Amino acid sequence: MSPSLTRRDFLGRLSTGLGGIALSSLFQGETVAAPPPVYRPKAKRVIQLFLNGGASQCDLFDYKPQLIARHGKPFDPGTGERVEASISTPGAVMKSPFEWAQHGQCGRWVSSALPHLAKQVDHLAFLMAMQSKSNVHGPAAYLQTSGFLLPGFPCAGAWVSYALGSLSDNVPAFVVLPDSRGLPYNGRSAFTSGFLPANHQGTVINASAPRPITHLLPPADAKHITPASRADGLALLREMNLGHAAERPGDSQLTARLESYELAARLQLSAPELLDVTGETEATKRLYGLDQAETADFGKRCLLARRMAERGVRFVQVWSGQGGGSDNWDNHTDIAKELGVAARRMDQPAAALLLDLKARGLLEDTLLVWTTEFGRMPFSQGSVGRDHNGGTFVSWFAGAGVKPGIAHGQSDEWSWKAVEGVTTSYDFHATLLHLLGLNHEKLSWRHSGIDRRLTDVHGQVIREILA
Amino acid sequence: MSTEVSSNSAPPGGPRRNRGAAGWIWVLLLSLSGIAQGAPDFARDVRPILERSCYGCHGPEKQKSGYRLDQREVALKGGDSGKRAIVPHSANQSPLVRYVSGADPDQQMPPEKSDAPPLTPEEVATLRAWIDAGPSWPDEWAGTSPETNPPWSLQPLRKPAVPGLSSHPIDGFIRASLSARSLTPSPEADRRTLIRRVTYDLTGLPPTPEEVEAFVASSDPNAYEFLVDRLLASPRYGEHWARHWLDVAHYADTHGNDHDHARPNAWPYRDYVIRAFNEDRPYARFVQEQVAGDALFPEDPQATVALGFLAAGPWDDTLMVGVREDTFDHRLAQVLDRDDLVTTAMSTFQSLTVHCARCHNHKFDPISQREYYASQAVFAGVDRADRPFDSDPSTHVRRRELLTRKTALERRDASSNAILTAPETVQKVAALTESAARRAAQWEPLDIVSVTSASGADTTFTRQTDGSWRVSGALPDKDTFIITAQTRRTDLRALRLEALPDDSLPGRGPGRYHPTGNFHLTEFRGEPQPTGHETHGATRLEFTRATADHSDRGDVVAQAIDGRPETFWSIHPHYGMPHEAVFELKHPVGYESGTTLILRLEQAGTAAHQLGRFRLTFCTGALPEDQRAPLPARVSQLLGKAESERTQEEQRELAVQVLLAEIERDLAALPPPEKVYAITRDFPPNGSFKPAATPRPIHLLTRGDLNQPAELVGPGTLSCVPGLSGDLAIADEGEESNRRAALARWLTDERNALTWRSVVNRVWHYHFGRGLCDTPNDFGKMGGSPSHPELLDWLAVWFRDDAAGSLKALHRLIVTSATYRQSSSHRSDAAEVDADNRLLWRMNRVRLTAEQIRDSVLQLSGQLDLTQGGPAVVQFVHRGKATFVPDGGAPAFLDYENFAPDAPENRRRAIYRFVFRTVPDPLMDALDAPDGGTLTPVRSVSTTAVQAFALLNNPFVIRQCEHLAANLTGLDLTPSEQITAAFRRMLQRPPRPEELARFTAYAQQHGLANTCQVLLNSNEFLHLD
Repeated sequence: MSPSLTRRDFLGRLSTGLGGIALSSLFQGETVAAPPPVYRPKAKRVIQLFLNGGASQCDLFDYKPQLIARHGKPFDPGTGERVEASISTPGAVMKSPFEWAQHGQCGRWVSSALPHLAKQVDHLAFLMAMQSKSNVHGPAAYLQTSGFLLPGFPCAGAWVSYALGSLSDNVPAFVVLPDSRGLPYNGRSAFTSGFLPANHQGTVINASAPRPITHLLPPADAKHITPASRADGLALLREMNLGHAAERPGDSQLTARLESYELAARLQLSAPELLDVTGETEATKRLYGLDQAETADFGKRCLLARRMAERGVRFVQVWSGQGGGSDNWDNHTDIAKELGVAARRMDQPAAALLLDLKARGLLEDTLLVWTTEFGRMPFSQGSVGRDHNGGTFVSWFAGAGVKPGIAHGQSDEWSWKAVEGVTTSYDFHATLLHLLGLNHEKLSWRHSGIDRRLTDVHGQVIREILA
Repeated sequence: MSTEVSSNSAPPGGPRRNRGAAGWIWVLLLSLSGIAQGAPDFARDVRPILERSCYGCHGPEKQKSGYRLDQREVALKGGDSGKRAIVPHSANQSPLVRYVSGADPDQQMPPEKSDAPPLTPEEVATLRAWIDAGPSWPDEWAGTSPETNPPWSLQPLRKPAVPGLSSHPIDGFIRASLSARSLTPSPEADRRTLIRRVTYDLTGLPPTPEEVEAFVASSDPNAYEFLVDRLLASPRYGEHWARHWLDVAHYADTHGNDHDHARPNAWPYRDYVIRAFNEDRPYARFVQEQVAGDALFPEDPQATVALGFLAAGPWDDTLMVGVREDTFDHRLAQVLDRDDLVTTAMSTFQSLTVHCARCHNHKFDPISQREYYASQAVFAGVDRADRPFDSDPSTHVRRRELLTRKTALERRDASSNAILTAPETVQKVAALTESAARRAAQWEPLDIVSVTSASGADTTFTRQTDGSWRVSGALPDKDTFIITAQTRRTDLRALRLEALPDDSLPGRGPGRYHPTGNFHLTEFRGEPQPTGHETHGATRLEFTRATADHSDRGDVVAQAIDGRPETFWSIHPHYGMPHEAVFELKHPVGYESGTTLILRLEQAGTAAHQLGRFRLTFCTGALPEDQRAPLPARVSQLLGKAESERTQEEQRELAVQVLLAEIERDLAALPPPEKVYAITRDFPPNGSFKPAATPRPIHLLTRGDLNQPAELVGPGTLSCVPGLSGDLAIADEGEESNRRAALARWLTDERNALTWRSVVNRVWHYHFGRGLCDTPNDFGKMGGSPSHPELLDWLAVWFRDDAAGSLKALHRLIVTSATYRQSSSHRSDAAEVDADNRLLWRMNRVRLTAEQIRDSVLQLSGQLDLTQGGPAVVQFVHRGKATFVPDGGAPAFLDYENFAPDAPENRRRAIYRFVFRTVPDPLMDALDAPDGGTLTPVRSVSTTAVQAFALLNNPFVIRQCEHLAANLTGLDLTPSEQITAAFRRMLQRPPRPEELARFTAYAQQHGLANTCQVLLNSNEFLHLD
């Protein structure tokens, strides 16, 4: 092996099936070479639930008696800080329209908006004091997906794909399941590989579309393309490419292309089975809420996420909510109405995914994370809505390597700003990579004169939530 | 040892060289192969530790105790104490090791209280091993001070003598470095390969079979030179090379970011670039136009269009327009917006990473943080917006003059003071006062009998003392107000709706629901009926025109009388102030016996957008033309005061308004301007997005933090370019365009070595698939070193002086060299010495770009539409106005796969495609076309299953293969002749006998369309030898 072989070449070859060394052996080699505590992976794969629009922490998990006591009174945090909201004038203190109760052994407060997740709090590790650098969807969503406020940077799934590749030759490393109503804010840039090679970009699966994966099959009206024409055509292509490559030795690009067609053929074979949930039991379908209109979409995508986890996808990202002004977590106008709907669509399927992963033993080596781009204000916007709040929001981790039933950090008495155990997207991603056995400071790519990382120049692993 | 990416199609960066991931794999390789670890490498192993844990206090920014570890001399000699911190060959005696190992708790480094992470035991061991073995500290890492150690690119430019006896200067340099390694060049490629290579390279399209045969058969010794001249003269050349430039400029047709609104006027800049290449605009002029064309060439409309360059990248309209002006987010967005301008200009023209100095001095190159902010100050007067221009030069000049006057008035420049008090102006103000009095008197209050809500009785309407109505009570999602009024007047000509602010409304109204205070009037309808004889639905009010004092850009008041419930009038973003709309009637209205008017204010377009306070008035008798449209709110307010009661300032303000109205009238009389999305200081304010009257003050931001502004920084540039000062010496900095003009002149100064090295390297990169320096946007220390520095310099000087900046001359020089014309065949002897082909002992094999593939497919199928220029061609199905109207609210929905493959739009060249930043075309995306999110000086070349899928199953590709097949079928050929024709068209060669047999058999079984698609997917088609 030539010492000039770079990691990218190395993994690039692996991902196109050319390796000759199994991915797992590369990975173990790494573990041996590196200081043990940092590099031993707890999780083999990640399922990320992303709530698009800014899920309101103070209506879901961040219980603040002060908001109830001072409901309707002018908002004055008493710290002398300027109160600013991104698109509106700050209104009066507003209590949640939902009821609060404590749940589980850990006694975690959860609002009545999330009855199903409330039952699972003993499995979750909450980050109660996450903070964003922005109050605006575009940059805040980029920050929480890619670690930068601006477009053009690879998202976490792309970094993980680059670092670890897929667990199987038959599935992509990084799969994205957008809301059936539409793409999230920032469109497909939310799943971009940025400056990393394009093969690390998220493979988008539109679960409820008639053709879920772009270009997986020829269009139905191309009658001249039959299984036989394809099989013979690919054989002819292979023959021609082999001859061409034989006359041009020493060019790995040419052989890599040959292999890419073989990988494509394998993916094509495995995809229908991957996406077919008809074989799941009725109980499983009910668990995910496939039998109810409100939960069917997110439920199906959560179920698919589990199927992908089983079949070797390294990073699955499931979106709740589209971009734009409605059908998401951006509840400016009416928390009770808008957030109520969004929560009902997400709650049961998310809880089902957790239960199902656990029941199948997958939670042992799968990391399940739940996050959003920012939180919402403790005071009203208009009459009963809430504006964006980058000051504090909630995410949770569950599964492989995560300490269950705990909460780290807290916001001030208003749920306005994070004050204790404050965590950022950098810490969030550092922890995620750490659980995958990756050092966030070492995983980098030279771009435009700078060694770029998912965590920019920041990030601390959040040890408090590690098992 | 080089750890550079070895393939010739590598992306710009690649994993961090010598460090990080590469170091990681190195450790891995060693451990896998069981070799003991040797002496640590400074750059790879040692420096990252120092940088992370020590530089904070002993680095570029701080030198505590006078000690710094970023400069070899100081690091080895020691700081203020005068004692050596590093004792060669003896880690045990080196104080540095003692400090960092924590052996002495009183002198532990980094100190416990600092943020810097302490060294791990492994890292201490690395430092020990490094010191014990030397320490070895290579020259290129000796220090960062510009005086002692500038990178190669900052050496003065000189023209070296061409080595050897080659007839072609490029070959002289290339052969000299080959023979220094005992290598020889490869023989010339065969003619078929050559015409395929050069035709794709210069025009992006394949040669036709006829062109190939003519070239192969030609006995003219200058056949190749003629071919090159023909290709360079083709308009296809500009279309292909403009695409390269648009990559560098990160051009697209949408803003990007969360809503990704369309940028419908981006394309004139794209056409400018195509034209500039086709007309062979001298490079200096090309640069100057794109930075300051408006200032340097004011008479040339195209020089204004060129300003689209700096605006080409993403722009966050939510942050710039929608978010409140006083927020941190908005202010940060302005800084980052300017950062993009600086990055785009300096990366493109200087190939330096100036943007790395935003938070601290550049860590590797001699660029200070101050110089970075001075570069921001150059652009402190501009924003990105639609900028009017006129292709007709005389209109262009006239409009410029009017706009200059307008700006002077709006800013109340000293130059405009005299005219404000001139007698003729005073007279005009008096006339306006008089006509305004008439205007006010012409509106009479409607006698309203009842107001109800279509949604039910829970909404209440309360009459106010000023005749307006305040709405309160229930908040339905959508509503219609039904107003019954009576009048005995008979000659009603117009109705006026005033939308009024109120302290009790959100955002002070005039809306009552939406937090901003906006409302949407979807339709204004009415029924006039004789009082006492009402028959519902018998008659309708017909309107000829609706005008308003203000409408949102896409949502104009005329949409309230268009009968379409999905369109509406919106007053975004001017909330919290009064607005009025006048609806002119087609016929005079009024019955002798008295009239009952039933008016409907329909607010049913978007949820939560209803009026909170309004007033209705009417007027009778003919309306003079100049009295129809409502006056701006501020003017109405001023005119409300009697002339004698106005202050002098108010009187002047009115004068300004009067003169502005005149200018607007003159502007309106000009033919409508074209628009280009460009940098500009003049645009209509929209929400928080407002033009800067004078350049904004730029502070150096400590650590790049907006909350830590340090001193003010004036416009300037880099001081590291030999022979040039970083002081731009701008006479009048208040005029923002002077700043850009000065930068443009500095960039194109013949002494600016970076400019000339940068462009010739970029051009070389596109011809050979790799630059002489393989990081075209980074000529700094962290970028690549040039493989042939003398050749690069020779080319730079030749291009600047001999070719006078002619890009076509540069192309001709490069493609006529034997180096370019040589075969790409592998030679194991040469590969052993230079596997990477850095020395160019053969031509590089490159894959076709996304655009080349798409355009070729069209040309081969006979479907290519060669229409040039014009608005971007939409090649997708779309839904939602967000796609094409700025500031629309609906999410974009794009569907590429179901776009009709035979739609005429599909037949245009790829450069004319509408490029949607956040939702790229899946075919182009799979083939590595950039999405405009970031500067793309080098495209990555990926090989993925997704790419295979795209070329196998994309409906456009499949359909074009059918067209090609139909085309061949129509030629009256035998099956095997069809295969031969397909090979000739697609691969520029006839099939070999065994290929002919195999493909003919396949075609007979599965048809010609499938056969063509196999050829299209072949490596031979997709690569250029």
